[in-house]
Amino acid sequence: MILFSDVSKRYDKKPVLNSISLIIKKGELLFITGPSGAGKTTMLKLIYCSERPDSGHITVSDWEVSKLGQSEIPELRRNIGIIFQDFKLLTNRTVFDNVALALSIHGMNQGKIRHYVNEALEEVKLLDKASLYPQFLSGGEQQRVVIARAMVSKPVVLLADEPTGDLDVENAKTIMELFSKINGKGTTVLIATHDENLFRNSGHRVVHINDHYIEKEYVG
Amino acid sequence: MKKNKSAPKGMYIEILRYSFKAACKSIGHDKWINFLTILSVSIGLTILCAFVLINANMNSALQKWAQSFGVVVYLSEDISRDAEGALEEHFLKDNDIEEVNYISKDQAAEEIKKTLGQHAVILDVFNESPLPSSFELKLRSKFLDPARVREKAAQMQKLEGVQEVQYGEKWLSSLSTIAKTLKICSIVFGTAIFIAVTFITYSTIKIFLHRRRDEIETLKLLGASRSFIRLPFLIEGLFIGTLGGALSSLGILASYSFIMYKMVEFLPAMKFIMSSLPSSIYVVVPFGGAVMSLLGSFIAIGKIRY
Ligand SMILES: Nc1ncnc2c1ncn2[C@@H]1O[C@H](COP(=O)(O)OP(=O)(O)OP(=O)(O)O)[C@@H](O)[C@H]1O
Ligand SMILES: [Mg+2]
Repeated sequence: MILFSDVSKRYDKKPVLNSISLIIKKGELLFITGPSGAGKTTMLKLIYCSERPDSGHITVSDWEVSKLGQSEIPELRRNIGIIFQDFKLLTNRTVFDNVALALSIHGMNQGKIRHYVNEALEEVKLLDKASLYPQFLSGGEQQRVVIARAMVSKPVVLLADEPTGDLDVENAKTIMELFSKINGKGTTVLIATHDENLFRNSGHRVVHINDHYIEKEYVG
Repeated sequence: MKKNKSAPKGMYIEILRYSFKAACKSIGHDKWINFLTILSVSIGLTILCAFVLINANMNSALQKWAQSFGVVVYLSEDISRDAEGALEEHFLKDNDIEEVNYISKDQAAEEIKKTLGQHAVILDVFNESPLPSSFELKLRSKFLDPARVREKAAQMQKLEGVQEVQYGEKWLSSLSTIAKTLKICSIVFGTAIFIAVTFITYSTIKIFLHRRRDEIETLKLLGASRSFIRLPFLIEGLFIGTLGGALSSLGILASYSFIMYKMVEFLPAMKFIMSSLPSSIYVVVPFGGAVMSLLGSFIAIGKIRY
């Protein structure tokens, strides 16, 4: 469960989120949408404690995120899979090693790492590109590497920031199917996007942020 | 949702293995900068070591020298045999005194006759030896400090039957000045080299950190612990320091052998200064290098904030 209670966030006195309250149930798949600059990424950053709220509380599972000490943040993040808007892939490592990194930080042994990474790459259909460097992959392929890295550690929460960025309809569909599959296994999935095609007729809850507030909430 | 709080067995070993691999990769990738850093560290440590060795040897030489200036206690003309015996007893019991030598009137006369040589006839005017009997005392080596010797001499002066106490005050104070200067020099110089070696590693690790800042940023976002981020850099620092130290101890051994077998022919005084090369340097120097470099790396990494 993820809980936002009366959360406000400003950047240099410029308000971004104002008194946001939201409950996301365990195992839910939820869309956060809104115009560019509305604060979608900021909401995700608040969840993985990359930004701190100016007021209000955020809870993720048993973690009181807004009160988390520096030394507790890594453990929280190891339990959250994040698909970054700007990918954050390392150009000096192969696709395989980029994905493996998410397991190495857990102190997992090489044999298990190989097994899980191959499994994740298989899932995103990139097993044949495992030994390539990410900068030589297409945008859609890079996006899938990031997804593989986010899901390989089987996190309890998956945060996807604009996961279909500028992908074509076909690629976007594949990726959405993947999220549905992950969600089907019990993972809470949060997708921040301005792509209406993703949630239209999806049957999942959509939270629309505008002008620092939750403007509307509906089922897509 | 559940937390994966308990650390599975072998987790730390795996993280250590990962860190070693990462450090090795970095060492292999930046061979030149690492090599130059190791070289600089070893030069710094060699200078420090040479200085410490010369210093230690000179210090022990100085102390031996200072000791050779004994204290001479001249006794009164009218002192009785018993009083002399009591004094000797007193000196022998004193823990600050290493050696006690009694010199009777006759022995003193013999000594002076030897010194005067053919002029010794002037002594014939005395029917008894004109020189008082005395004790020659050797103080323990810690008495390099003139103030302490002065105090000791003053105490002896007060003893029954003692006429005068003499010691090489001027010599002693100049020796003590040399020893003090040496001490100050070694502290200043040692600290400077310590800082220099630490700084050399610091700046190299800083370069690596800067180059890998994106990677560190990603690691932090993925949930890597502080030690996971730090360890590869610390291991690299440790490697630089230890290897630099090992190289330096080999360098010292080589220069020592060179001095002992080649230079001594021309400069016998060298033997006196380089009297010993303790075998502990093969452990102490690499260890010292490791500590300094580790410190440098640690400072370079600084605080990790998420
Ligand atoms: N570190 C920061 N410092 C100052 N301002 C920031 C910072 N991060 C974000 N902002 C501002 O906060 C606002 C919200 O940013 P955010 O990235 O959350 O928007 P978004 O909804 O994700 O937009 P997009 O759809 O373009 O990704 C923007 O106006 C942005 O300029
Ligand atoms: Mg965004």
